[in-house]
Amino acid sequence: MKNWIFFLALVFFMPVASHGEDFLGAPVIPQGTTIKKTEDRLEMKTQLSHDEVIAFYRKALKDFEDIKFRNWKDATYIEDDGKMPWHSITVSKGGEHGTEIVIVKDNWTWIIGTLILRYIGVFMVLMILLIGMSISGKIISRSVAGMQAKKAGN
Amino acid sequence: MTANEILDLLYGTLRTTGIYNFQWNIVIMWGVGCLFIYLAIAKKYEPLLLLPIGFGIFIVNFPLVPLMGYSHGHAQLLQVFYHYGLEWEVIPCIIFLGLGAMTDFGPLIANPKTLLVGAGAQLGVFVTFTGTVLVGFTLKEAASVSIIGGADGPTTIYLTQHLAPQLLGANALAAYSYMAMVPLIQPPIMRMMTNEKERKIRMRQLRPVSRQEKILFPLVTAGIIALLVPSVIPLMGMFMLGNLMKESGVVGRLTDTAQGSLMNIVTIFLGISVGATMHADKFLSWKPLFIFSLGLVDFAVCTIGGIVTVKIMNLFLKEKINPLIGSAGVSAVPMAARVSQMQGLRYDKSNHLLMHAVGPNLAGVIGSAAAAGMFIAMFD
Repeated sequence: MKNWIFFLALVFFMPVASHGEDFLGAPVIPQGTTIKKTEDRLEMKTQLSHDEVIAFYRKALKDFEDIKFRNWKDATYIEDDGKMPWHSITVSKGGEHGTEIVIVKDNWTWIIGTLILRYIGVFMVLMILLIGMSISGKIISRSVAGMQAKKAGN
Repeated sequence: MTANEILDLLYGTLRTTGIYNFQWNIVIMWGVGCLFIYLAIAKKYEPLLLLPIGFGIFIVNFPLVPLMGYSHGHAQLLQVFYHYGLEWEVIPCIIFLGLGAMTDFGPLIANPKTLLVGAGAQLGVFVTFTGTVLVGFTLKEAASVSIIGGADGPTTIYLTQHLAPQLLGANALAAYSYMAMVPLIQPPIMRMMTNEKERKIRMRQLRPVSRQEKILFPLVTAGIIALLVPSVIPLMGMFMLGNLMKESGVVGRLTDTAQGSLMNIVTIFLGISVGATMHADKFLSWKPLFIFSLGLVDFAVCTIGGIVTVKIMNLFLKEKINPLIGSAGVSAVPMAARVSQMQGLRYDKSNHLLMHAVGPNLAGVIGSAAAAGMFIAMFD
């Protein structure tokens, strides 16, 4: 009940909250406790549930372009593909002692890392195709050769 | 009727003409449109596309023309083509159907190793992405710009429409322009990246490929792509359907339509719709100019990527591959393969590389589609 009252109060004061505290331009949930804060990372904890935190961020980020909410097994990953100084907000799921929120600064490591992975991915796709073609090619060549030998035998 | 009334009448009539609404920036776009029409007619650079694109640019850049907007709630002519053809991502897929119906995958099936060259040649796509982000494009815009180096028009249009439709005109134009200029761009890079001994490497004649193998190829490829990169299956599925129709030999009428009339019809709609997106108000900014300059770098790095991949493969292969066919990994079918053939003949008059280069050339089509799929998966 206490959580619900807090959540309703949060939604009611949302416009104020969304223009309130932020980390690198990413909205920070009010009444959250900061666990660790560095130049490029903010870790927080709140007693709100995962769904309540996501509701807060959906409303707070509704005017932002290029924001994606990815629903993972153990967290919801909010990613910015635009030009915001922050890159992601990870909201943990199923925490017994509250919900953890991690805000990470936009960084080149992520961009370069994902590009390298995807370039390797292209190789993997074509490599698997190569294997598929080689196997199917061998099977067909053999069966064609077998059929021809059969015909020649007849 | 008083003189003032007559003047009002004349003034009212004048206001409905283009002259009254004239802006100087549209003159630049007339020049751009006419330049592409000139390149298509006089230089024969990708005329099937550059001519309708050029005309599209020219005609939409007149004031008040009812072409790309809405009148009384109804879409105007080119807006209809654009909406149903490009926004719905129909035209690039139909073009791939036609391309599939035209393509003989025999050289690729006979030498499947060359698939890796098609992957290596996507290097520029990923390098350019970084450069594009650095100058201030968003990640989605960067992905759509970087795919230009894959030298595949329909894939560029498909990805751009998906991720950054505001760049469609500039990206499509850059892709087709550079594809037309492959014979100018690639040879110096090919010479720079290879030595004389490598250029003279002779490759064994390709084995004959059975009809059964050719029929199975589109099924295997469509299946693998659908499993690994499902986001590009609208493109690759249509490509493989076209090829299956061709290789099956039982639907000649459909194959003829796909590679002939249908392809020609959608090419007209594609060209004019892409050109029509390039209104002066949107096009005259630093971004299109940057896309053009970076597209060239993209192409060059993709060419280098293909050649380097062959060189790396040669370290492990008993039968060496001529690195001149590496440049064909940038897709641009069949122009890039022809460039490999011409360069090969330049150093050895009897060394015919055309059929060997078709393999990486087709692998480039699949590779650029895979790269596009990776980007779509990244942002969707």
